[in-house]
Amino acid sequence: MSTRNENPSGAAEPMIGATGLTKQYGRSQALRGASVTLRAGEILAVTGASGSGKSTLLHCLAGIVRPDEGEVSYGRERLDRASENRLSELRRTDFGVVFQFGQLIPELTVRDNVMLPLLLAGTDRAAAQDRADEWLERFGVRGQAALRPGELSGGQGQRVALARAWVTGPKAVFADEPTGALDSLAGEQVMTALVHAARESGAAVLLITHDAQIAAYADREVWLRDGAVHSGATPFAVQEAAHHEG
Amino acid sequence: MRADARIAWNLARGSDRREWWRIALTAVGALLATVFALAAITVASVRGQVSIPFGQGLLNQPGERSGVVVALLLLLIPVLGLLGQCARIGAVHRDRRMAGLRLAGASPAQVRRISALESAPACLAGSAGGLGAVAVALAVQGHTPPATAWVAFVVVVLGVPVAGALVSVLALRRVVASPLGEVRRVRPERGSRTLLVLSVAALPIAVGAYALVVRGSSPAAASFPMLVFGLVFLTGAGAVWTAGSSAAHIGRRLAESAKSPAVMIAAGRLRDDPWAAARTHATLLLVTVVGIAFVGVREVVLADLRGKGIHTPEGIAFYTTGIDLTGAAILVAFAISLFGLAVGTAESLATRRRGLAAQTAAGVPHTVLARATLLETALPLAPAVLLATIGGMAVHLAYTAVAAPGTVPSVLPLLVPVAVYAASLLAAATSLPLLRRMAHPAELRFA
Ligand SMILES: Nc1ncnc2c1ncn2[C@@H]1O[C@H](COP(=O)(O)OP(=O)(O)O)[C@@H](O)[C@H]1O
Ligand SMILES: [Mg+2]
Repeated sequence: MSTRNENPSGAAEPMIGATGLTKQYGRSQALRGASVTLRAGEILAVTGASGSGKSTLLHCLAGIVRPDEGEVSYGRERLDRASENRLSELRRTDFGVVFQFGQLIPELTVRDNVMLPLLLAGTDRAAAQDRADEWLERFGVRGQAALRPGELSGGQGQRVALARAWVTGPKAVFADEPTGALDSLAGEQVMTALVHAARESGAAVLLITHDAQIAAYADREVWLRDGAVHSGATPFAVQEAAHHEG
Repeated sequence: MRADARIAWNLARGSDRREWWRIALTAVGALLATVFALAAITVASVRGQVSIPFGQGLLNQPGERSGVVVALLLLLIPVLGLLGQCARIGAVHRDRRMAGLRLAGASPAQVRRISALESAPACLAGSAGGLGAVAVALAVQGHTPPATAWVAFVVVVLGVPVAGALVSVLALRRVVASPLGEVRRVRPERGSRTLLVLSVAALPIAVGAYALVVRGSSPAAASFPMLVFGLVFLTGAGAVWTAGSSAAHIGRRLAESAKSPAVMIAAGRLRDDPWAAARTHATLLLVTVVGIAFVGVREVVLADLRGKGIHTPEGIAFYTTGIDLTGAAILVAFAISLFGLAVGTAESLATRRRGLAAQTAAGVPHTVLARATLLETALPLAPAVLLATIGGMAVHLAYTAVAAPGTVPSVLPLLVPVAVYAASLLAAATSLPLLRRMAHPAELRFA
């Protein structure tokens, strides 16, 4: 597929590595010894049935939640041991996040939403506005800059969310079913924009999806079952389960 | 009807913590309203000159009794405000749920009945509890009100849940109209509906209270209370309007120029729903006006007593019991209003929990969100309290000029707005621990 990276991604060095992650929520074991590596500049798809632990894995890698056991390393840093302040600083500067929906502040305009991470980093307002507009332009939603998130279509909203994730120049972007709430055409547009941004910026992307068509945009694919990561061909059962959700 | 009741029960039982909060707080509000109304009826039903061992004989004279009735009736106003806040708890989710029922095929009438059945029992529990409390108090005091008073008791106890059900049906108007309800409403015109309901309910109470005050006095004597009531209400309304319109103005100005993320987030919310501030602050602002005027009047009366050579605490107490009770009533009203503010702030955080969790996940520091929450209260409250201060001071100065011409007016009343402002920020701050929970990644799982 033309969207696949020209360089075999195996050559790139590991950026975020997780080994033996476990996470328990009450009686449900979300992760049981999950290990995965995100390499610099690659797009890694994580698939699996609903409830298999995909979101929990993403949360652990992005430093949003701490695993019960196991290690998460980012370069030479151990995220599972980092302080809360350091983690939120990393999420602000080095990582971007995109969820299925709901990450934009409904009361702020599209432009203000995209400016927010820059203002948090201490960028002055005029410069932040220019950068925000530039990224909105790249994702094709510059014309919607003055609107509120509630006034956008689902696809436009997700492209704004991508702009917000990329505006700080992150090294990695974590996307949890970014097209999960969209129809296939809007989903394709969002994915094209995402792949384009990833290639241009060199940011690695951890892409969670249960849609095989979306996973095909990635350089590499792993799948989760019962809280553990597997690679290689996705078994039919997993594809089936994922398909029935969509 | 049986089926509707079962659905209502299942919804209440299966609902999350917030629904129980709403039910409990609504019951507390209904209880307070019932207690104040029944107490007012009890005092009003006493005829002629009697000897009641309460508050230095405060209830012995008909004239002073009507003052107590007025105070009790006016206490209903902050209680109504509190009930309004409670009704909003979980409103977004309730609307979604009702819209879901509509999509599943429930008729508008059915949805209305279900939502009425959800809120009426809470109000009934509260008003029955209030009746019980008043009955116990009467038994302890050994006082038996006349039969007419009991009839009025029953009317109040049954009226409160009926009113509660009506309000919840009214609040659902839009959802009933469209099954899509609030789920996809682009720019909600939230407006000042709650405020309107509050003023419509408050006005007859105020007029009734005024009628009681001037009952039997000459037109000339009736004009000063009229002036005071008028001033209090005008400044109260003005202050509330100021809160709303300044929120819109401040929000717009700051949203365009904010350099700090906390200010930008707060400004965005003010601009989006400016009347939310007025709604939460309405009764607080009224209490501010009344409180300033009261402290002023009290200073004049105390100065007058000192002028007459009365210095001992007992001597002063004999004259000031009524005044002190009024002060206590104002403090109670203040406490209820602050409680309403705290509930309102907590509710607005709970409604936005998924968004807050997403901000935290994206690295927005907790302190920024906390500062934005406080600014949302602090920014619109400042000009509104200023106007309330001007109105209250006008009443104070007018009273001083009439009752003690030639004296220098006291500046003590100016402490009231300072205290109100500080206490309001503290009340808003009580929801900050909640913010920490609402902004937790676990909340990302909730829509
Ligand atoms: N915050 C939480 N509280 C309780 N259970 C949770 C929480 N997060 C995840 N889980 C549970 O952990 C399991 C994995 O969830 P998740 O990672 O969201 O799966 P996926 O994203 O693959 O659908 C599920 O059984 C889910 O119910
Ligand atoms: Mg998930």
